[in-house]
Amino acid sequence: MLIYIFKRLLIAVPLIFGVLTLTFFIIRLAPGDPAAFFIQPGISPNVAEQIRAQYGLNDPLPVQYFKWLANVLQGDFGRSFSRSQQPVFDVIAEALPITLTIATLTLIANFTFGILIGIISAVRQNTFLDRFLTVTALFFYSMPEFWFALMMIILLALKFPFFPVSGLNEIGAESYGPLGFMLDRAWHLVLPVTVLSINGAAGIARYVRGSMLEVIRQDYIRTARAKGLSEKVVIFKHALRNALLPVITLMGSALPFIFSGALFIEVIFAFPGMGRVTVEAIFARDYPLIIANTFISGSLIVLGNLFADVLYAVADPRIKL
Amino acid sequence: MTEKAAGRVSIAFKLAGSLLILLALLTLSSCSRHNGSTGKGGKSSAAMDSTLVISMLGDADYLNPVIGATVTSSNIFGLIYPSLLQSEFDTTTGLMNYMALEKKLRAVTAGQGKKAPKGAIAKSWRLSDDHTSLTYILRSDAFWDDGKPIVSADFKFSYQLYGNPVIASARQQYLAELVGADKGKVDFDKAIETPNDTTLIFRFFKPVPEQLALFHTSLTPLPAHRWKDVKPDEFRHSPLNLKPLGAGPYKLKTWQQQQEIFLVSSRKSNLPKPGNIPAISFKVVPDYTVRLTELQTGAVDVVENIKPEDFTALLKANRQLDIKTVGLRVYDYVGWSNIDQAEYRKSGAVKPHPLFGSARVRVALTTAIDRQAIIDGYLKQYGVICNNDISPSLKWAYNNRIAPHPYDPAKASALLKSEGWLPGTDGILQKNGKRFSFVLYTNAGNARRNYASVIIQQNLRAIGIDCKLDVQESNVFFENLQSRKLDAWMAGWSIGLEIDPLDAWGSDLKKSRFNFPGYRNPRIDELSELAKQKMDPLQARPYWLEYQEILHRDQPITFLYWIKETQGFNKRIEGAELNISGTFYNVDDWRLRPSANIAQ
Repeated sequence: MLIYIFKRLLIAVPLIFGVLTLTFFIIRLAPGDPAAFFIQPGISPNVAEQIRAQYGLNDPLPVQYFKWLANVLQGDFGRSFSRSQQPVFDVIAEALPITLTIATLTLIANFTFGILIGIISAVRQNTFLDRFLTVTALFFYSMPEFWFALMMIILLALKFPFFPVSGLNEIGAESYGPLGFMLDRAWHLVLPVTVLSINGAAGIARYVRGSMLEVIRQDYIRTARAKGLSEKVVIFKHALRNALLPVITLMGSALPFIFSGALFIEVIFAFPGMGRVTVEAIFARDYPLIIANTFISGSLIVLGNLFADVLYAVADPRIKL
Repeated sequence: MTEKAAGRVSIAFKLAGSLLILLALLTLSSCSRHNGSTGKGGKSSAAMDSTLVISMLGDADYLNPVIGATVTSSNIFGLIYPSLLQSEFDTTTGLMNYMALEKKLRAVTAGQGKKAPKGAIAKSWRLSDDHTSLTYILRSDAFWDDGKPIVSADFKFSYQLYGNPVIASARQQYLAELVGADKGKVDFDKAIETPNDTTLIFRFFKPVPEQLALFHTSLTPLPAHRWKDVKPDEFRHSPLNLKPLGAGPYKLKTWQQQQEIFLVSSRKSNLPKPGNIPAISFKVVPDYTVRLTELQTGAVDVVENIKPEDFTALLKANRQLDIKTVGLRVYDYVGWSNIDQAEYRKSGAVKPHPLFGSARVRVALTTAIDRQAIIDGYLKQYGVICNNDISPSLKWAYNNRIAPHPYDPAKASALLKSEGWLPGTDGILQKNGKRFSFVLYTNAGNARRNYASVIIQQNLRAIGIDCKLDVQESNVFFENLQSRKLDAWMAGWSIGLEIDPLDAWGSDLKKSRFNFPGYRNPRIDELSELAKQKMDPLQARPYWLEYQEILHRDQPITFLYWIKETQGFNKRIEGAELNISGTFYNVDDWRLRPSANIAQ
């Protein structure tokens, strides 16, 4: 298996490099100018030109590409155009912990509730409970997250002000002490994590229900019941592990989400996470930041897929890598 | 499958809840450490009474006056840094007034002069008789926050930074009159002299009106002793940018990027004094609906640019809110290509546009558009019909004898008919086989322009003009506009407080970068030059009156409406004077009423 992983990682290098090269040219060929902000009345026409010179955008495209390549090979992805010329990985390092917190909590909630609801629906197939859970799951699954978030804010922060509207902490939360600070942070995360996880859990519940129904009909489940095992043991020990195989693929594909963040939620709840970094970089035509983000998310998609394949092999002895 | 492994799955589910909480706390604690390193506000929420919270759409770019280019940045660094002069927009005349400690450019008119000149570093100034040199005498009791005195050399040093092409300051235009600027490079040895710590002399290569000279020489200074070792190519990413050393009423306490900028009143400041409110938090809230909600819940005190459609619900939901207006500085317009843009791009030849090339057609288009309906439907009392680009707020120059082109579809049809545009079989006007059909472009994400564009489309359809609408992403729209690829578009301008129209209407299309319609009238160039030569702006008034008449007659674009910017305020703020020169221009004088005293 180690050789397999090594091979996959080796193939990933030219793949990611290709993605970065493609991104480099696409964003430079797209309309828009990183210095466009400085083209306005009252600002000397020289400024945009000076800014472009600073960013190295006056060179011909192939020259820009080779300069960029030389820097990237030395691990230097450059400085952000739009964020005070900070090194791009500093920008990402500031946004990442926030995104990680939200995404990790969301994923845990997603899989926990998704799997639980899926099992209940499958075991109680075609009962009122199953129909109720199915309809509810579909209801939330089809709801746009940004709209749901705004509705939650209006309901639970405005009409019934239980939760704060936005931000990561109250103003002056530092004076609450470490525990108070953490509780305040948790309080601020309830709404966004709920919004994200309800939607995600609904989707996972559908997967789990489907695969669980398939597994429950297998002969070895009938055998297990015939042995006189309790229903709990049959479902959790025998059926669930096999039913979770497709869910593992979902876990692999969730890895990029942990790092790329959820844009709408970050905008609505004013969290300075990766989703906002990426989208603001695109709007500001912040080339180095766009490429660094592409590098991170590209690598994670490749790693996520690899991770899913490896997990699959670990969980299912029939699969050999 | 082993029993042991299956057992783990089961246990995991039983413990899911507690695991969730445990992990939550773990991740949270790592996160809190991260935040702890970026700074501490050091205030308890019980003391919200002493913190003013202002929401902002995005973070400041730099808290450095040389390179901070956004309005948000200048609002904030304006509180941190001192200024050479105090300036105030006089709403009775529409002229800027500049004040030193012991001298004012103009006498303060009744009801004005809310801003005391105590914050100025200049005691007085003297402009030479030939208007080519300006000498400031500085006070000797002004100090940076680290205790070092503010001296004339700080100003000279700062102007060298503003003028350095490697630093690329957005304010280098302010140096355009200094000695050497006419030859392409300011000669700082001659242009700015500092014979001693309290004397600062600016020299110009040509006579400059006093108002402009004061405006252009009063850029915010940086402390030279702090910045002198920073190389120009490292200036934009110097760590000093995160720790501004100023002398104004507020100091930066923490800056959590993309989240919050926290200022505290600077107790030692005498420029003009420590800010009244102990702390100001500028909080980033990118989403408009959320900003409104926070204003309603009291989590923020000020939200800028509230849409008129939201006023009723907002004021009904919370009676502690107030809408304040500033204006008129912003207008929307429909741009018509006066010249054939495709031909101009190809060969540089200037030919009239096949649809919009004639002034009479453009007047017809303006007459066909019901501008009042757009105002009544969207802006309500916060909009005023716009005749040209001189704001009614600039009273000294505004021509109030011009009557707006009235909404009159019949007259519009008659004008078009006289130009040879007659209805075709499909009901659309035609001339020499060409249909009057075009695409009206606008940028995405502007509800007001979307609303207006739909009304314009209907109005034009009613007189037989086919107008299709297209919304483009802002960057793409702006690039298309600049490269003259659009025939008709809807956009807006925010005007400067000094009138200088050559960028927008100059006949030399290569020089006037913002003359997107390609409008050319030599008289406009003449009038602008004549006005610039007058050393007293009031003497230039006749030129500006004529200028407005010409624009009204030629309608290079259809001027739609001036917009009063509308800002939401919590009523616990007292003493807020909004001014066309900025919502926060006297924020150091604002006070917060303690929450217990707020009447319901």
